[in-house]
Amino acid sequence: MKRRALLAMALAGVAAAVVRLRGGKAASPQRGGWRELTGPDLR
Amino acid sequence: MRAIVVGVGAVGARAARQLLALGPLDDLAVIDPDTARREAVVGSLGRPVSVGSDLESVLATVRGPSTSVVLTGPPGNHRALAELALEAGASVVSASDSAADVAGLLELDDVARSRNLSVVAGAGFSPGLSCVLAAYAARSFERVDEIHVARVGVGGPACARQHQEASRGRAQEWADGGWVTRRPGSGRLLCWFPDPVGGLDCYRGDFAEPLLLAPAFPGVQRVTSRYGARRRDRLAARVPHLTRPLPEGELGALRVEVAGAQGLTRDERVLGAIDRPAVAAGAVAALAARWAVDGRFSRPGAAGLASLVEPGPFLAVLAERGVKVAVFEGAAA
Repeated sequence: MKRRALLAMALAGVAAAVVRLRGGKAASPQRGGWRELTGPDLR
Repeated sequence: MRAIVVGVGAVGARAARQLLALGPLDDLAVIDPDTARREAVVGSLGRPVSVGSDLESVLATVRGPSTSVVLTGPPGNHRALAELALEAGASVVSASDSAADVAGLLELDDVARSRNLSVVAGAGFSPGLSCVLAAYAARSFERVDEIHVARVGVGGPACARQHQEASRGRAQEWADGGWVTRRPGSGRLLCWFPDPVGGLDCYRGDFAEPLLLAPAFPGVQRVTSRYGARRRDRLAARVPHLTRPLPEGELGALRVEVAGAQGLTRDERVLGAIDRPAVAAGAVAALAARWAVDGRFSRPGAAGLASLVEPGPFLAVLAERGVKVAVFEGAAA
């Protein structure tokens, strides 16, 4: 019984580590964007 | 102009090529203890250059006014090399991103001023381009309150090792007019870099930007620097490199956020860049060397680029050399 509990905890730990390391994609900003600075900007 | 490039790895090789492209050179010398690498770079430059294995012997023949020494070798000895160069009457540009190197170079301010020479500390991608972006953003404000720098990516293998060291080192930050020490890897913050890097969690580390930016903006309240890392990068940072780092590094990005006041209005400005860090660092170091000799710095002495250059024209030349920067417009990034 104790060994099964330990095994279950170990498996849960591995699963948590995988989820934690893989992560998810962060949400993008809602508005705005990047604009390259060109000639007139660089004075 | 005479130029000596010390260390022709990923950054130094680019710096040598950029120096040749930025204007006429009376002499270009490259120094690297790795003979094969040195010869490969010399062969790729397409014109005769002097070579050497140590700075002292090269300075014996290539010296005098209008000489810039560009230090692009591994960190650790940049201050000692800079002292040799100053002694020989040459200005110095260091691309080291080590906070210890930067602190040592800044201590040469009095020596450099007394000789009317320049020592540019942190003239690479980050610090370097990051400092110029901060200075550019600061032009929008009468008073600069906060500067927050985030970066991702490394140049060559030496840069990768230094980055790993820095990510494990205690961070020095400027907060409320004084220095505070922060735990490495703390202060997680989601930062948005220009595409295709996008959003990445960023963490504190032992980076040099606060040392360079705090003195450049008197009255600034907070200066921080973070590095972007995925969780598996953070785990890998705790163990030695199991494989040799990539010779060229991957795509890198910068994000510089400056907050300040213009009249009664408080606002912020976010600038970014995306490039291979070694390519951008080589261009920044070479241009700084050129400007040091051409007398285009605001003053002699030792400082970072934010204190020395007019940021608009500096970024304009970098853009001509292929290093592009961007501004974030719209909602807070």
